[in-house]
Amino acid sequence: MTTPGNFVAPEQEAAAASRALRVLLVEDNAGDARLLREMFSKEEAGCFTLTHLTRMSDAEKHLARGGVDIVLLDMGLPDGHGLETLRRARAAAPDVVMIVLTGLEDEALAAESIKEGAQDYLIKGQIENRALPRALRHAMERHRMQAETDAMRMHQLQLKDEFLSHVSHELRSPLASIYSFTTIVSDGLAGETNAQQNEYLQIILRNVRQLQSMIEDLLEVTQAQAGKLKIDSQPFSLDEAIAYAVATQGGAAKEKEIALSCQSSADLPLAYADAMRVRQVLTILVDNAVKYTPDGGLVNVQARVCAQDRSFLEVEVSDTGCGIKPEAIARVFEHLYQVSDPAIATGRAGRRGLGLGLHIAKELVTRQGGEIWVTSEPHHGSHFFFTIPVFSLQELIRPILTEERSAGECIAVITVGVTSRDGALELPGRILASVREVLKDCLRPDKDVLLPDLGPGGEQGLFFAIASTQEQGAEIITKRILGQFERHEDLRTNEFNFAITHSYLPPIVKFANEPMEEFVEQVAAGIQAHIHNVILRGKG
Amino acid sequence: MSQKKILVVDDDPDMRLGLQLRLTANHYDVIFAADGVASIAEARKHMPDLMILDLGLPAGDGFSVLERLKVNESLSAIPVIVLSGRDRVGNWDRALKAGAKTFLQKPVANDKLLAVIRLVLAESEHTATTVYDLTGPGAN
Repeated sequence: MTTPGNFVAPEQEAAAASRALRVLLVEDNAGDARLLREMFSKEEAGCFTLTHLTRMSDAEKHLARGGVDIVLLDMGLPDGHGLETLRRARAAAPDVVMIVLTGLEDEALAAESIKEGAQDYLIKGQIENRALPRALRHAMERHRMQAETDAMRMHQLQLKDEFLSHVSHELRSPLASIYSFTTIVSDGLAGETNAQQNEYLQIILRNVRQLQSMIEDLLEVTQAQAGKLKIDSQPFSLDEAIAYAVATQGGAAKEKEIALSCQSSADLPLAYADAMRVRQVLTILVDNAVKYTPDGGLVNVQARVCAQDRSFLEVEVSDTGCGIKPEAIARVFEHLYQVSDPAIATGRAGRRGLGLGLHIAKELVTRQGGEIWVTSEPHHGSHFFFTIPVFSLQELIRPILTEERSAGECIAVITVGVTSRDGALELPGRILASVREVLKDCLRPDKDVLLPDLGPGGEQGLFFAIASTQEQGAEIITKRILGQFERHEDLRTNEFNFAITHSYLPPIVKFANEPMEEFVEQVAAGIQAHIHNVILRGKG
Repeated sequence: MSQKKILVVDDDPDMRLGLQLRLTANHYDVIFAADGVASIAEARKHMPDLMILDLGLPAGDGFSVLERLKVNESLSAIPVIVLSGRDRVGNWDRALKAGAKTFLQKPVANDKLLAVIRLVLAESEHTATTVYDLTGPGAN
């Protein structure tokens, strides 16, 4: 028999449909309960068994024991009200079919309950005699079909993932050999090559890169569809991401004698997004622009603060290419959409790829909270725009401030400054990444917040950890962080110092009603006022 | 100074030849194994300075090779670079946890491969604790 909490296999439920349905009625109003019981009593014996309870707490216990197929749930009980009753019932028995009973005036609430997983709702006083058993059978049937469809869908998605992962692996290996031997020949490891041979080898290599990026695209799309795209937001400079994308596409633009340029306003604030993903979006857009712009054209990338909403940065990639026909504009971000222009198909940039680039770009931008759109006029070029959030300390801190807190809790602000001993301004990305990993290890994801790269030291990798704890606040957290650093010997053997400073701040409840800006200022002031250094020196 | 010895473990003969040509051109001594069992035997026999290891192998895949290296006192010091066509997601973490220095995905750009080899060799002369995060954008 089915037990609550277990997945109810469709065939098991089909079997259940042919025997008595075990109904649990949870209703505190004696009159309503009597009416419903009478309806059941008119049914053939053996079709239904009815259990009647009047309190939510009793219903929860009963459901947890199992042996119920379907629940008729009143949403106004002495110990439970509204959607909360449904949530509790579903928590006690996630796979049992729920039908909500409501009064006439509660229809909006009933509709809401469907979203929360109820299979149906019945309005008390409006249930016709014969309609009740039918409603129950239908609810059971719908539930069964839904479970079946979900299971099938999951299975298919999994198969597709496995298939694509396998295919991409199988494609990468021969591609690796093609790359390997082409470069062996072009580097002269197998004898001298002449200029023409070399030129042809470069064409092979260009195509290898194209194939490789197609394989990556395929995987990205599957992961995006499965909701598995990994986004790791951090503050970063959008200018640098643009410079990177422009630099990587420079070769292709040069080949077509396209002028590729970029501008941004001087005091552009930091962005808060996944820098790698933003680079990827930029690369897709610039690559497309170069591809669809005829020889000698212009491609320009611009970044600015979004005029409509100053909490976003806006990037515009414009070209003087063939443009997009009005009827196609709505479709360019679709899966597998491709511009069907013979001039492109035969152009030097050649093959058009899989038609996944813009689709991936859209997934990446929307997953980071931004938007992407395009304006275009045929033969006058296109303007692609996308937005990403501006880095804001307020927004980052908000989650830990809005959480309910007891008066005893305090908040500790910890800053980890990473400075190079020889005064070099730039730290290798590897070191910063390691420091970040260390901090992640010692902070608790549900309670502490890590705020990396703030302020003028941003480039040097200054990390802020805001931690809330009932323990001795900062002391404990500092110890945790130091402990982690000790385990990462490699960080200390390098020529870098790690300064951990921490400061106590008054209990969080004091802040809760204050404006956010003030809190942020106090945090900043706190960091400067209570410098209590623990410096780990390098070994050498 | 004597040449550094690199053990290349890959079941694809083309891949082995390609790596041989590239690595010998860069003054490394190259030896080979085509499966899991042979890789351990060759490692014992030659005590290489570095191993380049594919994951999909007959007779014990790359992960089991890593496990076996780890428990063997004399072999556990050999640094391993995993070079595989498998997805980064999942395999990268798994390879590093199993003791690899880094995970590179095929096809890997020559410059990148050679730079990683130099880094790992330089590192193993001092200590053997560093894990390199080399998941930069684009393999080429």
